[in-house]
Amino acid sequence: MEIAYFLGCIMNNRYPGIEKATRMLFDKLDIELKDMEGASCCPAPGVFGSFDETTWATIAARNIAIAEGMGADIMTECNGCFGSLRECNDMLKENAAKKDEINAILAETTDKQFAGDVNVRHFAEILYNDVGLDKIAELFNTNLDLNVAVHYGCHFLKPTAEVGIEESAENPTILDELVEITGAKSVPYENKMMCCGAGGGLRARDIDVTLSYTKEKLDAMAAAGVDAIVNVCPFCHLQFDVGQTEVNEKYGTDFAFPVFHLAQLYGLAMGLDAGELTLDAQLIDAAPALAKIAKE
Amino acid sequence: MSVLDRLKSLISGTKKDIDENLSNEANQEKPEESIGAEQTSSEEEIKSDSETNSKEEPSKIEVPVTEEEITPVVAEAEPEVEAEPVEEEAEAEVEAEAEEEIEEVSAEEVSEEETEESVENVVEEVSDEEVSLENEDLEDDTSDDEAEEAEVEEDDSEENEESDNMTLLKENDVYSMDDIDKEFTQKFIDAGLETVDHCFQCGTCGGGCPSGRRTPYRVRQIVRKCLLGLKEEVISDPALWMCTTCYTCQERCPRSVQIVGIIKMARNVAAQAGYMADAHKATGSFVIKSGHGVPINDKTKALRKAIGLAEVPPTTHALPEALEEVRAICAACKFDELIGFNMETNELE
Repeated sequence: MEIAYFLGCIMNNRYPGIEKATRMLFDKLDIELKDMEGASCCPAPGVFGSFDETTWATIAARNIAIAEGMGADIMTECNGCFGSLRECNDMLKENAAKKDEINAILAETTDKQFAGDVNVRHFAEILYNDVGLDKIAELFNTNLDLNVAVHYGCHFLKPTAEVGIEESAENPTILDELVEITGAKSVPYENKMMCCGAGGGLRARDIDVTLSYTKEKLDAMAAAGVDAIVNVCPFCHLQFDVGQTEVNEKYGTDFAFPVFHLAQLYGLAMGLDAGELTLDAQLIDAAPALAKIAKE
Repeated sequence: MSVLDRLKSLISGTKKDIDENLSNEANQEKPEESIGAEQTSSEEEIKSDSETNSKEEPSKIEVPVTEEEITPVVAEAEPEVEAEPVEEEAEAEVEAEAEEEIEEVSAEEVSEEETEESVENVVEEVSDEEVSLENEDLEDDTSDDEAEEAEVEEDDSEENEESDNMTLLKENDVYSMDDIDKEFTQKFIDAGLETVDHCFQCGTCGGGCPSGRRTPYRVRQIVRKCLLGLKEEVISDPALWMCTTCYTCQERCPRSVQIVGIIKMARNVAAQAGYMADAHKATGSFVIKSGHGVPINDKTKALRKAIGLAEVPPTTHALPEALEEVRAICAACKFDELIGFNMETNELE
């Protein structure tokens, strides 16, 4: 199996440990991750999609066309990239007039054309549906005895009518199941399905509103008593890492929940250390959670 | 279309009333100074006022007065009550509504206490107030400072869309056909967002909206205004940008309205009209400059190298010709012009 690996921006340009863990995981699963040479920003659905749909769709279509040239489906481990590329892919496959319009711009500016013959898939969904929980669990050598708050984020499952990974996003289980094979326990918490607050251009435009979201999430996680936060989106990841320190600064709180992307959590379960997963470069210290793992 | 027709007849009916009020007022108030004139103009320009003032002149934003009889008595307490929200709005720090509500409640409690303490006073003032109310709120009475203030506040609260703590609609929330831009509504239809027309205004969207419980963002209202073609009102409202595109509204919508698509399309129109935040222009400029909304930095390069990844990822960062394609797309779509980016200096203007 070959997959066109779409990096995006935040993961590879801020949290490379996520990329490292993903490459190691897929290597062990014998799935080839092929680099999408010259790919760009997806571009971000809430921000770019809010500015100019045509620019957004053309840049997204160019990225998809790179994967089409490789003859492979796209995998991304960012909800935002997934949202943009999936939405654009669906739109251009369904709307011939739109496809012609975008292809005309691509013809003028690149050597690429959107054909509509690949799918856009999320890392977690590929693991769940194509690999399967049992096969993933075989790779693990470390039991992660942690209580974690699973954060789904928004664009992984929603809009469910278009994405189709889960029938409803009110009470999904896919990510909890993927987390719990590591030995970690997914603890229920209030507003679990709520947004981290960073999306839609809000973090750039009005950080106070964004932090108000994040604080509401962190308060609920604290009430549930978790050791760490697990996500499948580097932007949510950044918001819980950088944003958590910003919340502490603004509200005088002392939240200290280490933040793991699912790939990093799997890295820990495979026995990788904090340095390889660049956890030591994150703002929130992962040491308390790591110490708890080491003790077991 | 039938909705527009109904709106039209509604508007023409109400407008007539207001015209009568205005001429009435003009006859009555000749010798008196400014306040009456101010009200006249604010009646005429109520639309543009509610747009510009609610955004740029936060001093107009006040906690709406819920009980007119009490208002004159509360006059002393009010500056405090109002001061906070005003400052907060000015700093664009949109505080949780709950806070405002609490403040309002406490103001009411205060006023109730005071009411008991000065019953006689109240009775006098109330009768004054009632007289002026009978005269359609517009009669000027400069001899009574407090009544005057009350009237001004009524106007302000009518203009104030953002702190809509009142449940009753105001007579002066009137639109004219000039406010309606059918092409604006058509944009949604043309973009495949025809479900804008399916909304029956149940409010389920707002009920689950995490933004709506901390900002003035009212998703149900925006969807309605998009359908009605109230373009300026939609695109000039900064609250339009308070949606994180989390899709909770759309997931729960019983009419399957593509709400997030509608919001994004409305933002496209807003951006085209110049309503784009500098921070967003900056995000856009990063993509033109580097191909990435979040470009790499030296710290991450070192981290990547240390863990055995390519120091620079195989994206537009590593391939200049790929970046040129992205730049060419941005230029062809006039995205550079949209955000005010100069391709030659490679900077925002």
